Amino acid sequence: MNHTVGIGEMRVSSRPEDVLVTYSLGSCVGLAVYDPVACVGGLIHCMLPLSKIDLQKACANPCMFTDLGAQVLLQTVFDHGAEKRRLVVKVAGAAEALDREGVFKIGERNYTVLRKVLWKNDILIAAEDIGGTSPRTLTLYMDNGRTTVRSRGQEVEL
Amino acid sequence: MARRPEILAKVRSIGAMPAAAVEAIRLAQDPDVDIAKLTRAIEYDPGLTSNVLRLANSAFFGFRRAIASIREAIVRLGMIRIVSLVAASSFAPLARRRIRGYDLPPGQLWRHSVASAIGSLELAQALGLRAPDQVFTAALLHDIGKVALGTFVEVAAEPIMALAFRQKVAFDAAERQVLGIDHAELGAVLLEDWRLPPGIVEAVAWHHLPTRFEGKDRLVTDLVHVADQICLVGGIGAGADGSHYRPSEEAVSGLRVTTRVIETVTCRILSGLSELGDLLAGETGE
Repeated sequence: MNHTVGIGEMRVSSRPEDVLVTYSLGSCVGLAVYDPVACVGGLIHCMLPLSKIDLQKACANPCMFTDLGAQVLLQTVFDHGAEKRRLVVKVAGAAEALDREGVFKIGERNYTVLRKVLWKNDILIAAEDIGGTSPRTLTLYMDNGRTTVRSRGQEVEL
Repeated sequence: MARRPEILAKVRSIGAMPAAAVEAIRLAQDPDVDIAKLTRAIEYDPGLTSNVLRLANSAFFGFRRAIASIREAIVRLGMIRIVSLVAASSFAPLARRRIRGYDLPPGQLWRHSVASAIGSLELAQALGLRAPDQVFTAALLHDIGKVALGTFVEVAAEPIMALAFRQKVAFDAAERQVLGIDHAELGAVLLEDWRLPPGIVEAVAWHHLPTRFEGKDRLVTDLVHVADQICLVGGIGAGADGSHYRPSEEAVSGLRVTTRVIETVTCRILSGLSELGDLLAGETGE
């Protein structure tokens, strides 16, 4: 069954028939995680790097922020039986304006914060498709953990 | 391959605004306008009437007390807002369509436009500035040119995409090079036909090249430019052109925009969008 994960949303699944998909990843980061033995996984779409810019919102919706959201996703899949050492982690998004320098660097900041969270958890990124100027669609297939990214009409497997 | 004259000739038919709306906007800018006459001009078109009332009563325009009639809308909201409402009501059905060329599914351009309008106000606030009267409408309408240019971009997709993505040319520049015109200028042409005030027309014309605006006060243009960039980079209602644009350094430094401001505004845009619910889902009809 197809489940759309919106901005600031997260979904965890242990059902092989589920397909989790998130659209319009611009400067946002999409994080797809999957444990191939437990067959548990999840997808999150984080918009902004640090929750401290709006603590009220962060309490209401931690998944909007990469620093909190990534941690929430990891904790949730662990609670559902996934194990850190088996977890396959893939990332898409962190797009930017055509000029990489300048103040519109939310994408880069999201990615940096994500890497920090993963590093703190001793988790490596298995594959990623980040940067550039095109929005992305990230899809996680729960039957075998296959992850694809669609961008400008082309779909590739991560 | 410049097709500028052909595009300009064709666009007037594609972007025809209902006669009632053109007339209403014209009347609303007359300082001595007769309210009864303006009311009749809008009510002449039942579709326009219902769209105007629906928007007038939405959180988007900030009015939560029920406005039951066009006359009441005019009296309570004033002429500037009426121009906004009529323009928005006319634009919404166009912006809701699928727009090929930019790969915008139905509703996506409207989402981007609404987000930019919200963003322009939030940006002004975050910068400690008073938002000029016209900025909201200008931001809402800034990409109207895409409705008309879409089919031309689709036909010329190969050279435009190659220029943009292989040669790293900004998307608006690629449009100009291949088609002889970009969606910003085309949008301004349309809005001029719709008789919108010059301040709005100019801000739309230069929303990717704000420093080319030759007027005295660039604030509206700069705010629209930055709000648009915030939405594009954030992927809010983005299409195939994505964030493939160059933000203007002058506009950014002139307004003193920081990364923190951008993140705050992005956050507020998303809150604003989630509050709008059915306005985004398609309440205003064709």
